[in-house]
Amino acid sequence: MVGTVLIFDPTAPCQNEPKHLPPTLDDLRDKVVGFIDNSKPNFDNLVEDLAELLRSRYGASRIIKRRKRLSSHPAPEAMIKELSEQCDVVITGSGD
Amino acid sequence: MPRTLIVDPTAPCLNQPQQLGRTLDGLTGKVVGFIDDSKPNFNHLVDDLAELLVNRYGASKVIKRRKRVSSHPASDTVITELVEQCDMVITGSGD
Amino acid sequence: MAKRGPAAVAICSTAFAALGRAQATALGYPELPIAVIPHPFGSRTRDEVRQLAEQCIGEIVRLVCEAGPRDSSVVPNRSSLTERAALIKVPGDLDGLYSLFRERHWGDGLPVVPPTTERVERMLCHSHRAATEVVATVAPGFGAATIERIAANAVLAGCDPEYLPVLIAAVEAVAEPRFNLQGIQVTTNPAAPWLIVNGPIGKRLGVNSGVNCLGQGTCANATLGRALRLILQNIGGALPGEMDRATQGQPGKYTFCCAENEEMNPWEPLHVERGFAPECSAITVVGGASGTLNMNTHAKDADDLLRVIADTMAHPTSNDYWTGGEPWLVLAPEHAEILKRAGLSKSDVKRRLWEQSKMPAGRMAAKDRLRTGDARRAELGEIGPDTMLPISTQPELIGIVVAGGPGTHSVYVPTYGNSRSVTRKVVCNA
Repeated sequence: MVGTVLIFDPTAPCQNEPKHLPPTLDDLRDKVVGFIDNSKPNFDNLVEDLAELLRSRYGASRIIKRRKRLSSHPAPEAMIKELSEQCDVVITGSGD
Repeated sequence: MPRTLIVDPTAPCLNQPQQLGRTLDGLTGKVVGFIDDSKPNFNHLVDDLAELLVNRYGASKVIKRRKRVSSHPASDTVITELVEQCDMVITGSGD
Repeated sequence: MAKRGPAAVAICSTAFAALGRAQATALGYPELPIAVIPHPFGSRTRDEVRQLAEQCIGEIVRLVCEAGPRDSSVVPNRSSLTERAALIKVPGDLDGLYSLFRERHWGDGLPVVPPTTERVERMLCHSHRAATEVVATVAPGFGAATIERIAANAVLAGCDPEYLPVLIAAVEAVAEPRFNLQGIQVTTNPAAPWLIVNGPIGKRLGVNSGVNCLGQGTCANATLGRALRLILQNIGGALPGEMDRATQGQPGKYTFCCAENEEMNPWEPLHVERGFAPECSAITVVGGASGTLNMNTHAKDADDLLRVIADTMAHPTSNDYWTGGEPWLVLAPEHAEILKRAGLSKSDVKRRLWEQSKMPAGRMAAKDRLRTGDARRAELGEIGPDTMLPISTQPELIGIVVAGGPGTHSVYVPTYGNSRSVTRKVVCNA
């Protein structure tokens, strides 16, 4: 074969439109912080430590901790709804 | 459609065809060897065939040797022994 | 979470930061704040975790509070997200073509067949569906698997045009939520979808169900499994080392496809078991995740055979035991016959294996027993070392196909655990 040939691009662009994130907070004083524990080893310990620091050092008023049953499934709708209604910020994680 | 020359990726066998051992004109008085491949039931088949070869076909003697594992060749010692002592050797393959 | 209202931050260990960023982008949140902590994380001591928390808390707060206003002027050009696959001019010589495919990571490391318009159009003749029809969006990159793109990847893999309907059904199947393609694509496990073909189409396309059916040498087996992998990679965006985080992976990620040996199956074939008519053609996708394990046994007694198979299934590092999964067996025709002659139905075999493969939780590593407790507490109550763990939540979830040639070898296929197989009809042009 010589010259060039036309082929189909086998890849596909992402179908999800980029979205804007919610506005940032001024600080964490009196804010409600939620955690989605991905149930990977040690993440519960990290959540505990971060929660303590966010309260004692940054003035968060309340911490809500929720833990997924399995890391490889999304958090259930009920958990997402609860945290999005009650929290000013939600922290989650990924990794081993 | 234009044609292209390619290199054949396969290879012929390097082993030359060998002459088989002599055929026999009957089993009467002959010594029969068995190489049992140690697969399940082959030992039973050997026992039954040995009995028939002696009783029905007049073989004089049966030598049975069993491999330790089926996926290795029989040892040189076994091969030498059977080649020297037997008029025919029976072996097997399969599950 | 980011779309609902609260500010959101993700914490990723260093080895997973790239995945986190890519996944956030794929979900539509390229600006999602991500705080990075050193990997590995799971094996740290309690004190080390405390130190990590101290190290990253400042960054977390900064990301939430000081990340700056989002640029509201960035509006995506939606019109560029066409469903038509792009056409690209590439070198016409094979060396140039392979070099380009290597650079773009469009292949699996092996040479490919160029998806020219002629080849793709020949393939499209085998589906009545429009070329631009979206069969599914494929996790984790959420690219649109149109009929045309599926065909292009099928050509790449070396498929015959007649194979297209099988691949369309396979893409529909892996996209079903219960298959959990998202988890399978980005896991550290060596996950590889296994494609099983049933019905007349298997014979028609020459899909091997006998000797060496899980090995090399048959075009249909090799290229169908390969095409599915290329679709998951090229359309789904799971590139090794990027969103695909498999620690070692496994050879089944190149291809993993066979047909069921319906002639030698003493019971109903898999697709009939799942409610399809015998004369219907169907595929099943299974979230395999450990390769295959040879079960070489000369057991001739059904009880003995079931015992050794059950013993083989029970291993402490199994995802199936941890999550309550869906383990699979490929029974050799000879083994299936032994069980059938003993008067056992497929369902009896599943029930017996489920009972006999229960494993004391104490055989797991302590940390694995803890995570099993988290995952299966609702199902099994509190789990201690003496708790007998069933491999799946119910016997019916043990999958069985009969395949292979002569020989006393059955195959155990452990799975990802957090995935359920899906069977779909294969629709061919009349």
